Amino acid sequence: MENMAPPRRRRRGILAGLTLIFIVIGLYWGLIVAPPDAYQGEAQRIMYLHIPSILTAYLSFFLVFVGSCLYLWKREKRDDNLAHSAAEIGVVLTALTIVEGAIWGRPTWGVWWTWDARLTLTAVLLLIFIGYLMLRSLVEEESRAASSAAILGIIGFLDIPLIHMSVYWWRTLHQPPSILRPDKAPWETIHPALLTALAINFVAFLLLFFYLLSLRLRVGELTEEIKTRRMNRGA
Amino acid sequence: MGSWRYVFLAYGIVWGAIVLYFITLKRRLHRAERELAQLRAGEEIRIDGQN
Repeated sequence: MENMAPPRRRRRGILAGLTLIFIVIGLYWGLIVAPPDAYQGEAQRIMYLHIPSILTAYLSFFLVFVGSCLYLWKREKRDDNLAHSAAEIGVVLTALTIVEGAIWGRPTWGVWWTWDARLTLTAVLLLIFIGYLMLRSLVEEESRAASSAAILGIIGFLDIPLIHMSVYWWRTLHQPPSILRPDKAPWETIHPALLTALAINFVAFLLLFFYLLSLRLRVGELTEEIKTRRMNRGA
Repeated sequence: MGSWRYVFLAYGIVWGAIVLYFITLKRRLHRAERELAQLRAGEEIRIDGQN
């Protein structure tokens, strides 16, 4: 693991530029171009943050699941680094989703928070992955911390199908999904003007996620190399 | 103004938090790069000393 190869840094620079462009277009489209919702008015614009952030959080935890399974199978630090990095970003995105939801809930439902099945299960997801990160920092023996965290990461991921199906299984205040519906395509449930704003913001969040993940993975790689060199020096 | 204040509050918190996380990550990355460079420099000095 010598100095980071220039192509990798260049690729990250291109990704950063693309991310910034999409964020600016997403903000413009979401706040200015898209019309207000017929029922919710301007408050509905929070959707352009809320849906992309939770979908990207799901992607983060899917990568935790994949990285954790691979780590338990092959015991390679690279997979553990993927799981750890994705978990950290997933926690940030889930916390933001809950905050956005609370702010959106106030003008539409009249409350900041309610113990609705979907909200509660999302809070549980956040707590599980905060626990995941705490576990990693509290357990001293590295391989034990990684194995325990991998098991918790796999269990935590299983909460996502529950969150998704909660609006069908229980009577909830939260509306059913508009995007990931088994019976209808997104363009059948959302007006094209709103869907365009949502799609642009989703791409912006995806790019942002991959950019942050590339930075976090690099931090993990360097930390690992520092540890190895220190151990070799001590030996 | 109506519900615009909720929109601005949500956008402000989200983008503020993301920028903060990005700055933290960049700092962690720079710290790790600096530490690794120091370790490498120390190793080179030791190898030169042995030779």
